[in-house]
Amino acid sequence: MRQLRITVDQDKCVGSTTCLHTARATFALDQSGKSSVVNPQGDGEATVIEAAESCPVGAITVEDAETGESVFP
Amino acid sequence: MPVHDNLSAPEVIANPYPYFHQLREEDPVHWNEWWGGWVLTRHDDVQASFQDRRLSADRMSPFLKGLAKEASGDLHPSFRLFAKWMVFTDPPVHTRLRMLVNKAFTPRRVEGLRTRIQAVVDEMLDRLMPAGRMELIHDFAYLLPVTVIAELLGVPATDHENIKNWSDEITLFIFGAIGVPDRRQRAQRAMSELAGYLQAIITERRDAPQDDLISALIAAQEQDDALSDEEIVATCSLVLFGGHETTTNLISSSTHALLRNPAQMEKLRNDPTLIGTAVEEFLRYDGPSKAMVRIGGEDFELRGKPIKKGQRLLLLQSAANHDPERFDNPDDLDVTRAPNPHVAFGYGIHFCLGAPLARIETAVTINTLLRRLPNLRLDVDPGQLEWQPQIVSRALKALPVAF
Ligand code: HEM
Ligand code: SF4
Repeated sequence: MRQLRITVDQDKCVGSTTCLHTARATFALDQSGKSSVVNPQGDGEATVIEAAESCPVGAITVEDAETGESVFP
Repeated sequence: MPVHDNLSAPEVIANPYPYFHQLREEDPVHWNEWWGGWVLTRHDDVQASFQDRRLSADRMSPFLKGLAKEASGDLHPSFRLFAKWMVFTDPPVHTRLRMLVNKAFTPRRVEGLRTRIQAVVDEMLDRLMPAGRMELIHDFAYLLPVTVIAELLGVPATDHENIKNWSDEITLFIFGAIGVPDRRQRAQRAMSELAGYLQAIITERRDAPQDDLISALIAAQEQDDALSDEEIVATCSLVLFGGHETTTNLISSSTHALLRNPAQMEKLRNDPTLIGTAVEEFLRYDGPSKAMVRIGGEDFELRGKPIKKGQRLLLLQSAANHDPERFDNPDDLDVTRAPNPHVAFGYGIHFCLGAPLARIETAVTINTLLRRLPNLRLDVDPGQLEWQPQIVSRALKALPVAF
């Protein structure tokens, strides 16, 4: 399985928690009430993409960690 | 001068921002005797309260209990559908309802509607342009959101007029219209008619599914019993309702904001790529949702004030969005403002489900108006414009324009 680089743009995040509920092992809310990545290997790639897509403000981007190629959006 | 408590005073309805500034400066967590609850005006307090687990979003159940007493038990069952609107629920019920519909409203999904939205806007303008003038709200702004949301849900276009009427009646109730004594009866009748109408469509779709949200909800129901029929009806009525009144108001307030700020209008007309930041600024500057209500779930202190379990809190989004500690020159319209951390769509778990859709609809509409109507101007004395006398929503009654 390829490694992913998952980024949450905290300026955009509005703490809706939909990513957390989709990829429970990957994301968590931090002290400031925004989502952050706690374990990039926590869920499978399909689940991570589904979580990124679920974000109402498009705050999550996913790339191939090795090649830098965009996986989402 | 001490702040007064009348949130529906005519001058506050006409222009709430000076009053909100005064409140924020003098008493940012203010016990409002007239309204019977705490009023919050600072950006940090409002945003944090949207995420505060000590507060409940269920302001409907206590209210319905009160109504049941008042109506000595004759409350129509359809009224209880309001209590099943996700916007009035807390986790875990909220999480289940929200995650089931979330997929249909993601930015990527609604991006797929852009071409259709553009076509609807262009068709309407083709029809309206020869007259040279229109009343922007009723002739134009209300038609797009209701058309789009009805198509998305899968209700026939021929029923838009009914949906609009039911929605108007429900609005009187939800947004607390002042001076409409029979609003409960009218909302009750509208809700029961809407529920019957939706139930009939659900029954049809169960036999013959289509590519629409109602069919998707039925599929979810059949998969793992995740939804009751009542919850499907409630969710559809919420999406229908949430999906058009507010967007109509954003389209009219955005147009009004530009008409009042001709330099900003020219800037956007000359560079339509600014529309992304412009729509955020319209939401911040004079957004359709002035406030949301929460209920204390336990006793706690906020800025030294004792919040008690069961008390109401009014999170004044419009005050937060004009907080000078968060926004430079908060009362100025700046279509290039970025970042723009407004709370016009709320914040946290109830962050507006339809935000991506409202953003696209408004962006397409405003850019098209500016492009196709180079002489767009107000067709009435500005002093004659009036707003609906509502505490939680900001809605122009009419916006006559010429072009
Ligand atoms: C400019 C237009 C809109 C504005 C200003 C707006 C505003 C809001 C706000 C402030 C909330 C948060 C409620 C709370 O915290 O209690 C909300 C929730 C919601 N909105 Fe919107 N809205 C708009 C358009 C739409 C559209 C187009 C839809 C259609 C799908 C929609 C559907 C909803 C739903 C279903 C919720 C409840 C979400 C939840 O509880 O998780 N809204 N909206
Ligand atoms: S889905 Fe988006 S807005 Fe919601 S918590 Fe995750 S990153 Fe933040």
